[in-house]
Amino acid sequence: MTVTPILLVEDDPTDFRLIQRAFGKLNNGFRMFRLTNGDEVVSYLSGDGPYENRAAHPIPAVVLLDLKIPRRSGFEVLEWLRGQPSGLNRLPVIVLTSSRHSTDINRAYDLGANSYLVKPDSGTQLDELVEQFRTYWLGLNEFPTLAAEFAR
Amino acid sequence: MAKYPVSAISASSLGGIESPDVFRRLVDTVSDYAIFLLDPIGNIASWNPGAKRLKGYNADEIIGKNFTVFYTAADLANDKPGHELRVAAQVGRFEDEGWRVRKDGSRFWANVIITRLLDDDGRLIGFGKITRDLSERRISELRYRLLIEGVTDYAIFSMDPAGHVTSWNSGAQRIKGYTPDEILGKSFSVFYLDEDRKAGLPQKVLRAAEENGHFEGEGWRQRKDGSKFWANVVVTALRDEEGTLSGFSKVTRDMTDRKALLDELKNHSAELELRVRERDQSNAELEAFAYSVSHDLRAPLRAISGFADALREECAQQLDERGRDYLDEITNASRRMSTLVQDLLEYGRVGRISAPLASVSLANAINDATQQLGDLPSGSLTVDVPAALSVRAHPQMLAQVILNLLVNALKFHKSDESPKVLVTAEERNGFIRLNVQDNGIGIAPEHQERIWNVFERLHDRESYTGTGIGLAIVKRAASQMNGSCGVISQPGAGSIFWIELPRAEHN
Repeated sequence: MTVTPILLVEDDPTDFRLIQRAFGKLNNGFRMFRLTNGDEVVSYLSGDGPYENRAAHPIPAVVLLDLKIPRRSGFEVLEWLRGQPSGLNRLPVIVLTSSRHSTDINRAYDLGANSYLVKPDSGTQLDELVEQFRTYWLGLNEFPTLAAEFAR
Repeated sequence: MAKYPVSAISASSLGGIESPDVFRRLVDTVSDYAIFLLDPIGNIASWNPGAKRLKGYNADEIIGKNFTVFYTAADLANDKPGHELRVAAQVGRFEDEGWRVRKDGSRFWANVIITRLLDDDGRLIGFGKITRDLSERRISELRYRLLIEGVTDYAIFSMDPAGHVTSWNSGAQRIKGYTPDEILGKSFSVFYLDEDRKAGLPQKVLRAAEENGHFEGEGWRQRKDGSKFWANVVVTALRDEEGTLSGFSKVTRDMTDRKALLDELKNHSAELELRVRERDQSNAELEAFAYSVSHDLRAPLRAISGFADALREECAQQLDERGRDYLDEITNASRRMSTLVQDLLEYGRVGRISAPLASVSLANAINDATQQLGDLPSGSLTVDVPAALSVRAHPQMLAQVILNLLVNALKFHKSDESPKVLVTAEERNGFIRLNVQDNGIGIAPEHQERIWNVFERLHDRESYTGTGIGLAIVKRAASQMNGSCGVISQPGAGSIFWIELPRAEHN
């Protein structure tokens, strides 16, 4: 079974723990990488500095992106990503945030988000969300080609 | 009177058309002009029918008398008749217009020409005098002048082609402060502000009027005392029959009051714009606050709820009955808080929505709301609303309002009776009223005001759940959509909550 890398961008430690826990209930088949601010995401995806080693820091199949994160916001990350060459711009990004605000939702889609999910208030609802995410994004969804140099 | 009847005149009897007698005959026949002769000192030497008609004297009663009898007392006091003769004797001719007196003492406006008569040796032998009665023209001119002079609301005056003032009415004096003596002959540029005068505005105005026949404008002008007033000005070029410019007329109105009003209006609208901007800004702040509430307040909530769930799942074995009970309390409280935050956000959102109102089918809105209610016991909700009714509303907001009313109607039922809710609608003077009637516990009159306030609850949480925001949202939404809402209720007899919105054409 291939191990699919997932990049989770989440600055809140409790949210991270809860999400991690919900993902932990699933069978293996993915590997989660966590980053806590927008600048890190850009560095990671660019393969800069500490993220140079792609074996240790692979390009993810999908990004779970919070909007309200330090330094570069989720919106800025999206904007940067969609402007990247060599297919990196195709990287599926699922916004996972707490805002139901229509301006946030619309802006995220305008900037090229592939999906927009709101963090549920209860643990059981989160379990459900993670389960469905896995089914759809890691199961049904076909991934685009990113670039030769990123090929896994 | 003529010595010869007109019918008797014939060229042969007079000895030809060149005969001096013919001229005498002509004079004797003319009745529109008084034509007569004066001797060098002004005694009347001849009299024609025109003179008799104009002045009222017969030839026999006036010939030999001095022509001074035709003058007014005021003119006589100034020796006007003597002056006229002297001028005529000197330069050959004197012309004048002025009041003259008839035999009966009445006055008429006369145009007078006195011509010097010399003999072959150049000695003065007398004067010819031709007088015309211009009273009618004079009166209409006078009337016109009085009309213009009497106008006090407008400054009306005339100017020569160079812009020198040639007439001045009382309105001009009132508005600009100059008496006729002070201004006649002066350039109209004195009415302009110094900087306008330096910029050549007065000349530009005259040139524009000369070119276009007409100039209209508004601007600041100054009075004699230097004070400013806002003037509406119309300058018209005056041309004679041949098209030669003979001068200008100028009508000026003092619009300072109107200008002040307009300025005030402008200030008000500027202030209003400022307030709108401020409100937009405070709305933006509110939005930021709501965002922060939704994000920051919910994060710890997710932690409480999430870890309570985790605890229940992973550590339930280590907890006894009491521990699990406490865990349930934590979960319930966090759920309540979640609803509260959501409702508060909704309340804030309802106040901010500025989307344009549209025609919304009431039946559709009710349908949207009932779908959000989920499954209900059969018979608990009856909707009797004609499909054709539409209101001016915001679709989501209206559905939210109806949902809140339905939730309340279903919730506050008597403990021994299942809820029965009836939704109806009626037209009232251009509005449509939606009634949500229940068979519930009802509301005492003293509470019927309070229930619309935020966080207002009449019951403890154990009897009836809720955040106390639902009706506050209804009220806010109703006023946001130019409508109103209310309740008709008696304790124990159920309630009718209603909302009224402007009727819309069904589209």
